[in-house]
Amino acid sequence: MEDKLDLKNVKQRINHIEEVLSSVAAGDLDVRVDSTVEDDLTGIEEAINILIEDLTYELKQSINMQNDLQEKLKKIQDQQKTIVQQQEDLMELSSPVSKVWDNILILPVIGTLDSQRTQIMMENLLQKIVDTGCTMAILDITGVPTVDTQVANHLLKTVTSARLLGADCIISGISPAIAQTIVHLGIDLSIIRTKATLQDAMIYAMKQNKKSDALITSNLDEIEEREE
Amino acid sequence: MDHFQEKKIPIIKIGSYLIVSIQVDMHDKLALQLQSQILEEIEKTGAKGVLIDISVLEMVDSFIGRMLSGMASMASIMDAAVVIVGMQPAVAITLVELGLEMPGVDTALNMERGMELLERRMASINDD
Amino acid sequence: MQAFEYDSDWTELGVYPVKTENDIVRVRQMARQYAKNFRMGIVEQTRITTAVSELLRNMYQYANGGEVTINQGYVEEHNALIFTFEDQGPGIENLDLAMSDGYTSGGGMGYGLPGAKRLVDSFEIRTETNTGTLIRLMKWK
Repeated sequence: MEDKLDLKNVKQRINHIEEVLSSVAAGDLDVRVDSTVEDDLTGIEEAINILIEDLTYELKQSINMQNDLQEKLKKIQDQQKTIVQQQEDLMELSSPVSKVWDNILILPVIGTLDSQRTQIMMENLLQKIVDTGCTMAILDITGVPTVDTQVANHLLKTVTSARLLGADCIISGISPAIAQTIVHLGIDLSIIRTKATLQDAMIYAMKQNKKSDALITSNLDEIEEREE
Repeated sequence: MDHFQEKKIPIIKIGSYLIVSIQVDMHDKLALQLQSQILEEIEKTGAKGVLIDISVLEMVDSFIGRMLSGMASMASIMDAAVVIVGMQPAVAITLVELGLEMPGVDTALNMERGMELLERRMASINDD
Repeated sequence: MQAFEYDSDWTELGVYPVKTENDIVRVRQMARQYAKNFRMGIVEQTRITTAVSELLRNMYQYANGGEVTINQGYVEEHNALIFTFEDQGPGIENLDLAMSDGYTSGGGMGYGLPGAKRLVDSFEIRTETNTGTLIRLMKWK
């Protein structure tokens, strides 16, 4: 049989319970209700201690879960980074510049041209021009489905930058549909040399090669003649 | 104190051409000074062409860009052709984005190409 | 004129006075160095250096110099290089006009402001006549 409530200490004990509860509310889970006497209040005191115990456990669980989630999030972010990196690599691969003839580079463009891709394409092309010393570059856009104002501007920018380096660009592979859109949109491509097919562009570039060679030779001949 | 002021960019004459190689990040006064220096040299030597090598320049802003294209127009009035040689790809892209496309300025990938371009210019003039 | 809001998490990389033409060269070289340390690509380095050079020249020519602060910090989840240009010059009377291509109020051919804007990821400008001009550029990594 439990003891009766010790009325003398009851106020003190209730105060103690209150203190413990407010500590727990403030986040301190290490406190427990101390009960020295066994009476009617002891049950409540023990129940409170069990509750605190449970709370501590739950909290631990949730912290673990949070850590788990954070780890997973980090993994996902890392994967995302890899994906972005791979996309960039792919983009670089998707704009291969190759030297096909003395002094002539070809860049076949396939697929949709957006800002980012054009950026990489342009940097690749310009670097290749510098590395190889080729002064003629053919951009073949046979594989580009549509040309809108933005794409046209990107093409213009590429051609203008190449010219600043000292190289001429020829754009080939302009389909009737693309020619129509360009004119309808009012895009001025007159400063760019355009050819219908890659073959035409190739013939033009090779003729230019011959022309400059011939000019230099004739000039040298003339100088020699003058000296004689 | 102003150690930039001391530097003068050398202009070398080879045959009927002048060769200028810009090796420093120029401040504005130095750029303008170079412009008049080249024009004076054209007058003095009767040079028919000027090759300006900017392959070392990591940046060309609107001021230097305008100096270079102004240089080309001025020299052309004095019957000398200017070729800008060796612009870096990053510089070219930035110039175009800046809005300075430098129309009418001749460019070449390297000194050899620049020389060829001048030879061609001379040849086509001789043809007339 | 209100100053730009600063994030307390940003790191200040340096404050540079711009008084002479040599300062223009020096600060734009600093800008490239920071961009390089930031592991930006060569084209990005050139873009930011050129934009900084344009604004430094404006500051030198029109406002008799000023001050540049370079910060690094996160902006909208981008790791950013942040350049703040502050001068006590005459200010820009017609900002819309100054921001349009081909306009200039003294010498040169314009391009300064709109050109610089095209080269960076964020461009903010505050100006007040007879008080000065504040410009902030950001370049994401």
